[in-house]
Amino acid sequence: MMDNRFTRLALLVVLVIASMLLLAACATPAAPAAPDDAAAEEAPAAPADAAAEEVVSSEYPEEMDAWLKEAKLGPYEESPQNWEEIEQAAKEEGAVVVYSASSRIAKVADAFMAVYPEIEVEYFDLGSVQTVEKTVLEQDAGLYNVDIVTTGGSGQVIHELVGNDRIVNFVPDTVADEIPIDLKDPLLVRINEAIVFLYNTETYDAPPISNVWELTTPEWKGKVVIKTPLESLSNLMGVSTLVQHADEMAAAYERFAGEPIELSEGVPDAGYEFLYRLLKNDLVILKSGSKVAEAAGLAGQEAPPIGITSFTYIRYNDSKDFVNGVIADLDPVQALIYPTYTSIARQAPHPNAAKLFTAFLLADPAIDADTVIEPPYNEGESAELLQGLAPYFEPGSQSPRMDVPLPRGGELWSQLESWTVDPDFMWFESPKVRDFWIQEAGN
Amino acid sequence: MFASLQKRGSDLNSLKFNLAKLRYRPNIILSILFLVVFSFLVIAPLLQIIYTSLTYQSNDLRLVRDATVGDFTLYHYFRVFTGRLSRALFYKPFVNSLVVGFGVTTMAMVLGTLLAWVIVRTDVPLKRFFGAVMVIPYMMPSWVIALAWLTIFQNGRVGGTPGMLTSMFGIIPPDWVSYGLFPIVICLGLHYYSYSFLLVSGALWTIDSQLEEAGAIAGLTKPAVLRKITFPIVIPALGSAFVLTFTRSMGTFGTPALLGLPVRFFTVPTQIFASISARNFGDGFVLALVLVVMAAVAIFINSKIIGSRKSFVTMKGKGFTSKPNRLGVWRYPIAGLILLFLLMAVALPVIILAWSTLMLLPGDYSLSNMTNHFWFGGSDFMIASGQEGIFRNPGIWGGVWNSVRLGISAAVINGFLGLLIGYTVVRTRGSKLSKSLEGMSFAPYVFPSIALGAIYLGMFAKPIGPIPALYGTFALLVLIVVVKNMPFSSRSGISAILQIDPSLEDAARIQGVPWFKGFRKVIFPLATSGFIAGMLLTFITAMRELSLLILLVTPKTRVLTTIIFAYQDQDQTQHANGVTLILLFIIVIANVLVSRFYGTKSVFGLSNT
Repeated sequence: MMDNRFTRLALLVVLVIASMLLLAACATPAAPAAPDDAAAEEAPAAPADAAAEEVVSSEYPEEMDAWLKEAKLGPYEESPQNWEEIEQAAKEEGAVVVYSASSRIAKVADAFMAVYPEIEVEYFDLGSVQTVEKTVLEQDAGLYNVDIVTTGGSGQVIHELVGNDRIVNFVPDTVADEIPIDLKDPLLVRINEAIVFLYNTETYDAPPISNVWELTTPEWKGKVVIKTPLESLSNLMGVSTLVQHADEMAAAYERFAGEPIELSEGVPDAGYEFLYRLLKNDLVILKSGSKVAEAAGLAGQEAPPIGITSFTYIRYNDSKDFVNGVIADLDPVQALIYPTYTSIARQAPHPNAAKLFTAFLLADPAIDADTVIEPPYNEGESAELLQGLAPYFEPGSQSPRMDVPLPRGGELWSQLESWTVDPDFMWFESPKVRDFWIQEAGN
Repeated sequence: MFASLQKRGSDLNSLKFNLAKLRYRPNIILSILFLVVFSFLVIAPLLQIIYTSLTYQSNDLRLVRDATVGDFTLYHYFRVFTGRLSRALFYKPFVNSLVVGFGVTTMAMVLGTLLAWVIVRTDVPLKRFFGAVMVIPYMMPSWVIALAWLTIFQNGRVGGTPGMLTSMFGIIPPDWVSYGLFPIVICLGLHYYSYSFLLVSGALWTIDSQLEEAGAIAGLTKPAVLRKITFPIVIPALGSAFVLTFTRSMGTFGTPALLGLPVRFFTVPTQIFASISARNFGDGFVLALVLVVMAAVAIFINSKIIGSRKSFVTMKGKGFTSKPNRLGVWRYPIAGLILLFLLMAVALPVIILAWSTLMLLPGDYSLSNMTNHFWFGGSDFMIASGQEGIFRNPGIWGGVWNSVRLGISAAVINGFLGLLIGYTVVRTRGSKLSKSLEGMSFAPYVFPSIALGAIYLGMFAKPIGPIPALYGTFALLVLIVVVKNMPFSSRSGISAILQIDPSLEDAARIQGVPWFKGFRKVIFPLATSGFIAGMLLTFITAMRELSLLILLVTPKTRVLTTIIFAYQDQDQTQHANGVTLILLFIIVIANVLVSRFYGTKSVFGLSNT
């Protein structure tokens, strides 16, 4: 574009002007340079090696500490929590701002406002990547707009948000006893979902495979469908969790082939070897999970593929012409469980409304293991009981509360052998899994 | 003493004279003003992208544990260009993008130019209708055509519902027909031909047919007239069309993602999207810079070609006639061909889209599967997670209002700015200022939208000098759409002004008319056709914008595209497609209204011909 010295000089001048303006603007998103006001100074000052450091540090930035005290959160949390007071204060706050990875949050908002008309819910459904991104960008710019951050993406949520004090854990004590420790510490889980292997129950009388390694044989060449893990955090979590359990994968291979696995050149372990062979076996990669469910489960197919996707797509068996089944007898694993967390954002402007909203997401404390919850879940008595859980109450998902029964059609959940996504492995190892995938899928 | 006073007097006079000169020729002031504003709105984000690509980000700590955030590093460049991953991450996708770019550009330009010539310069029947319908593919999100392609040509590779070709005729298309390069080029070509069509027909409108007649009288054959007279006049428009189509098709994401992924056909934008989705901004921005460089190269080539020729002035303020070329016996066969083309490129995708909103279960085309629930139905929790039908859904109507508001604001601002920039660039042509301004006004085009959105979020989250914190406001949406569309409006401004003889302005100036009045009374009316076309295009683009806005919208500023995105994300296909139809409908209405008001002057209208 520029073809002589003068032009280059002109460009240089422009660049100088621009960089001065840029410096003036200062607050640029990914720039970790210290912002100029005290409010935001602490955020980037959080040690760069925070990732390695462990969750919730004991010393908070001054401003945040004052807010924690005022909001009765973190170290200042009351025991027992005074719910009358919280509700009263929440109504005075009059609003709650929610960043969510799920668009069903709109339904939660409607239900919440029906119960608490004094509190206006402002929700943003952003997807998991942008939920984290928006929270980080705003806080780096010294903006504290959001009250509730609810998303999946274990590695980022635990290491980048909790680890840098960007969000605070809050567990309503009304149901806390019913939630297993790993689902409320370091961060409250509001719903668990799982990646499973789907097969077509019409074409196949029984699950066509019993060992995951069968998917790497010629019989299943071009006949396995997955949603791309490069753009889907839940699928990246599923795939990474397979890699994490390399030893179990190796043992399963031996049970399948009758001999120890031989790793291909440059492949470090049996977990990666499985991905490698799956990709070499002409794995079909799609953009959307429902397309995977359709590929595997649409009725009337002669030779449908196996689909690797979320358990919840089983719900289409009712509303669409799908006949998906979950492969329940699979060596070495049948479900890869990934959580959706919920948390209160640092210096949330409406902390009490956020507490109330958190409790609402976990359903009525009155529910117990014997409660019969009849569909449809979004209306009548069921809706009143399920509260903010109602839109997520469907086969293939599980409340963190042990006293909330599984949704009808999803009872299989409790019988599946599962591995749960590990935030540390996700944070440190899944980028390698991702690189491995890019390389092997692209060559 | 006296002498020095006198000297000061003459200094003052010369200053006065210079000021007076500026009053009549404010090109320089305008260029500098634009350069400063652009530096801030365009170069600052560009520097931010470069800076990010050259430093460690918090995400990189996951792979490089001993790194410090913000430290200088070439890590991302090594990863993308030389590392183990480079082949899969960059080189193969880059070659694919180039092939897609050239394939689409060739197809789109041939198609767009031919159609523009036939419709503007010949006596083909149904001109008005063709002219109005021809731009519809541009109004649709590009993935609509890809969706239609899959509906017809999908083979068994991805399982699920087979395409119509298989289900109706038992023909199983091979993979290369169903997925990958071939359908990507076809679908994008059918979408982007509108650039060439609009720009070239805009230029053709201004051609005085006396020029062509002169050629004919001088003994040139019809093809020779085309080659020697018509073609050179539309060269600037063709150049613009080339630059826009090439960079846009290299940078497009939706269609390659939909059609390429099943056969692992990756392009640079799909890799950028994947990187940014994983919050790996370093890799993403290095790849984005490749697109920026490619666009710079395209502009350079364009300016070499156009710059080495004289610009072609067709509006001289003298007699003007426009007589169509006679097609003779070919009139009806050609009209038939155009009809067939429109049926494939326009009607079919729209019908498939509309039909899909009436299907209770997607992919089942039987009559028993039809329902109007997604349009008129109340909340039923067995269907679409209890979403009300589109016409009963207040959220969707809020989105309609926001989209329209955004489209109109951006169109008006872009229209005027584009014309001013066009004027400034053309009237200072040859100078370095002109070149820098032209280059800079083009830069936003090549920013990955999602990256620009993220950067603007950061830039405008806090007040900057006199500018208040714009984050969360509607104004920020307008600003970013204006910036993102600046390349197009400045291109159309440039090609509009290129055709206006400076002597017209000189005439006004000699009579003592101030510059602004001259601009308003002389340049503006002559450039109206380009101006209106540019505004309408901005309106359309603004209405369709998604990735640019997704980070910046708030519940109160939700627009139709973010609503569509949410529905698609939740697999509520019928709602998503229904809202897409509403979007399309609004754009078509705007188009009809504009052509009503502006008659022949609008390139869309082609009425009164």
